[in-house]
Amino acid sequence: MSSRLRIGGLLLAGLALAACVEPPTAPLDTPAGVETEGFEMPEVAATSVERRAQEVTVRVRSLGCEQFGLGSGFVLADGVVVTNRHVIEQPREVTVNTWDGRSLAAEVTGVATDTDLALLQLEDRGDLPVAELRTAPVERGEEVFAVGYPGGGPAQVSPGRVLGMVDGTVLGEPAEVIRVEVEISLGSSGGPLLDRDGLVVGVVFAVEVDAGVGLAVPVETLLERLDAGELVAPGVC
Amino acid sequence: MNQEPWAVSSDPASLSSSTSSATPPPRRRRWPTVAMIVLLVLATVGAVTATVVAVDQRDVAEQWEERALALEAQRDTVDDQRAEVADQLEATLDALTTSERDVDELEDRVRTLADEKARAEDTATTVQVERDVFIELSELISDATGALDTCVAQLFDLQSASVEAFNRANTGQDVDIDALNARSGEVTRFCNEARTAAASAEAAADRLLRS
Repeated sequence: MSSRLRIGGLLLAGLALAACVEPPTAPLDTPAGVETEGFEMPEVAATSVERRAQEVTVRVRSLGCEQFGLGSGFVLADGVVVTNRHVIEQPREVTVNTWDGRSLAAEVTGVATDTDLALLQLEDRGDLPVAELRTAPVERGEEVFAVGYPGGGPAQVSPGRVLGMVDGTVLGEPAEVIRVEVEISLGSSGGPLLDRDGLVVGVVFAVEVDAGVGLAVPVETLLERLDAGELVAPGVC
Repeated sequence: MNQEPWAVSSDPASLSSSTSSATPPPRRRRWPTVAMIVLLVLATVGAVTATVVAVDQRDVAEQWEERALALEAQRDTVDDQRAEVADQLEATLDALTTSERDVDELEDRVRTLADEKARAEDTATTVQVERDVFIELSELISDATGALDTCVAQLFDLQSASVEAFNRANTGQDVDIDALNARSGEVTRFCNEARTAAASAEAAADRLLRS
């Protein structure tokens, strides 16, 4: 009896072993492709933002009644260019130079009476890239950069940060202006002040010579003037 | 358990009765033989089963070995592909870096040329302004010179008329003093206008020098 049980046990064990050790049936996997989704290159992104910022920033040349002015500006939709009022006072002939060498004739469509802003209209809109405005106010310590044509020279990107908001009434501004630790020179007037995403947060218009810091009209003031249409015709000779 | 057909009773009574009767030939005890046969059959079945299982497992083992070899080969292939992709990525990165540098250099070149063009336009605009001023100045000077020349001519005429009137007065002839005075006033007014034109030309020249 016991030997029969042993034999039966051996048979069952063999069958169990045969059942457990199955032959491989799963197909061999092919090598998976390289996963690139979510692959980020911050340096390239930052370069793109600066490149885009330079593309939307233009050089403004204004031939006035008594003076020849050079400044900066930036392009909005429909061929509108924002710059400073003091860049194009009493204009006889205004020309906009783009970063890639195009020279476009422009007409002053309006100047603000209470802030250093002016709008130009390009006669040929072309395919110029357009700047985007940020509606949210800047924050103290926020990283920003200014783009302009200091001295009428090549476009220059100047990084820095927001120092805070200061009273603009002493400078003839209706509201607070942005105080930025950014290198600003003559010729940078009218250029955009942008955040890290390339959105315009202000319009550079002055520099504190003693402190060596720049001042910019907040984009909120610009938006208010654009929305309210509180712009007048420029002076004539 | 059912009694097996070949089992022999172990009852002593039955044994004694059987021995007491006619003596039949003693029955051979066959159960060991049967048991042996059964065991042999079972052993044979077990051996066959074990052999079948062994062969089957050998096949399985061979398949696993093949699979292991295939996986190893695939791993080597993947390693080679990875190395190749890594080389390609490195080459692509080098190319991208070179391209990025080239693009940056070209953009810098474009900006430099754009700047030179803009400055040339500035100069052209300035030259245009200066040319306009020069043209205006030239016209002013020409007008002033012409006016002064006419003024001088009229002064000469007035001088001649005055001398003639003086001589006529000395010879007792009538002299129209009112006409002479009117002419003198006209010449004076004209010469003043000429002087104004000259002053404008001088101011324009001064403005040009200051700009």
